Amino acid sequence: MIELLKIDLKKLTSYRTFWVVCGLYFVTLGFGAASGMEALKWLARTFEDFGEELNIDRIPLYHFPDVWTNLIWLGGFLKVVLGIMVVISVTNEFAYRTVRQNVIDGMSRFEFLLSKILTNVLLALMSVAMIFVIGLVTGMIYSPSIEWSKVVTDLEFFPAYFLEIFFFLSYALMLGVLIQRSGLTIILLLLSKMIEMIILANIDDHLPWIVQFFPMQSIWDLIAWPFPRYAFQEIQDYVSPLTVFIVAAWTFIFNYVSYWKLKKADI
Amino acid sequence: MMAVIDAHASRLMDVNSKAVTDAVLSIQELTKHFGRIRAVNNLNMEVHRGQVFGMLGPNGSGKTTTLGMLMGVVNPTSGGFNWFGEDPTPEVRRKIGAVLEHPIFYPYLSGQKNLELNAMIKKCPAENIPKVLEIVELTERRNDKYRTYSLGMKQRLAIASALLNNPTVLILDEPTNGLDPMGIAEIRGLIKKIAEDGKTIILASHLLDEVQKVCTHFCVLKKGNLVHTGPVHDVGRGAEIVEVGAEADNLDSLLVDFSGTSSLVKENHHFQVTLKEGFQSKDLNRFLFEKGVVANHLVTQKKSLEKMFLEILSESEKS
Repeated sequence: MIELLKIDLKKLTSYRTFWVVCGLYFVTLGFGAASGMEALKWLARTFEDFGEELNIDRIPLYHFPDVWTNLIWLGGFLKVVLGIMVVISVTNEFAYRTVRQNVIDGMSRFEFLLSKILTNVLLALMSVAMIFVIGLVTGMIYSPSIEWSKVVTDLEFFPAYFLEIFFFLSYALMLGVLIQRSGLTIILLLLSKMIEMIILANIDDHLPWIVQFFPMQSIWDLIAWPFPRYAFQEIQDYVSPLTVFIVAAWTFIFNYVSYWKLKKADI
Repeated sequence: MMAVIDAHASRLMDVNSKAVTDAVLSIQELTKHFGRIRAVNNLNMEVHRGQVFGMLGPNGSGKTTTLGMLMGVVNPTSGGFNWFGEDPTPEVRRKIGAVLEHPIFYPYLSGQKNLELNAMIKKCPAENIPKVLEIVELTERRNDKYRTYSLGMKQRLAIASALLNNPTVLILDEPTNGLDPMGIAEIRGLIKKIAEDGKTIILASHLLDEVQKVCTHFCVLKKGNLVHTGPVHDVGRGAEIVEVGAEADNLDSLLVDFSGTSSLVKENHHFQVTLKEGFQSKDLNRFLFEKGVVANHLVTQKKSLEKMFLEILSESEKS
């Protein structure tokens, strides 16, 4: 297993595009997550221009445990950058025909796919670690008092965040394996959410219960939008087991489809 | 050139004496359809240890498809094959070094890094890399990116990669395709060097004279069907043709009188004598000398593989 991960990382770590895209992802994730206070200050200044007053200290953006869900929810938007990287990584193998040579050299098709899936796991874990560290540091700085019971609250959102990223990278990998051309795959990846929304708009009046089973909707439901709570609204402050099950099932289906396609294709 | 064929012939004898049970590869009724097209049709074949086995055939005759199936990248429609008497698995493939069609590497990696990657895939130590780079004479350029290599260097890197795991079988598909004459000579020299180490080599090519120069055995594919298989050594056998010239007016009648003559054709200033089975050019020479005629031109023509190949193809056309 480790050997397979090493093989895929060896392919990527000398590839400049990989460093550029991953660098952009982690830098944006880091700065984006850490600059929430600046965003609030800007908001306060804008309010002042209109003669209103906004007390930013009353918005506990970085207080434990709010910081976890706030950062995880925001971090979810950047997963598309990693998704594009995964698409490039797998479609390159088809464009250069190196997948063929890898198999000739003695990899099984399953091992080839597994090496890509393991890289996806690693990227998802790194995203989780990044958000965790930033959350921990900013939480320590901005929380008025550190109460451990609050620090450990809502930590179940981290496995959910991992699942969200891994789901999306598995989806990107599957599209890459099915389409094999980078441009088309990336466009489809970017449009997936929109295409699904159009489909849902047409059926949710007739079959409202089915909406939650759609793939993009399922990761949307996994980690609920946290900010309405600052407008004194109820939010879903837990991870729904049914949604976890739906997301996990889709993730399995995506990876299985990749396997099935690789298995039966002449490469 | 003659010496090469003779060397191969003697190798062939060694091989034949123990060949029967020594199948490296045996193919049973292997078939591949692409939609309606039958790319490979009911192929049965065996390759034995130590052979340099040439696969001949026009473009699109199914050579690469067959090799693709043997290396696990093309799924057979039906039939099967065994390597070393075992079912084909990724583990078995690691014992085989193969270059199919054209060299495939990661263009943004250096030659060295590409080989390191392949060593990981083949599960062999990276210590083998300097040795194979030395064999293909790429040591100096090993740290340059693959995409900066010339075609000949790419082909050589592919052979280096195939040799990485010290395989017992080497598969080369059109290894001299697109190379200049010097590159072709280099690759041929390399193949012969490797063959002398006792490795079994399967060489697909549409260059007949290449196969005749380096192979011990060959088969001919046509539209996915196997139309011939046998030793290269046999190609030269059969009726010998001798071109004779001498300053004698009655040369034609003398040649007709010779008991070994099966047919006679006059061509320019010389006569082409096709000899009967069992007669050789030296017999003809002795006969003329005894009749008081000294030949000033005596050339023995062996049948070339090219001629035989065309014969095989036209015969298969008729049947």
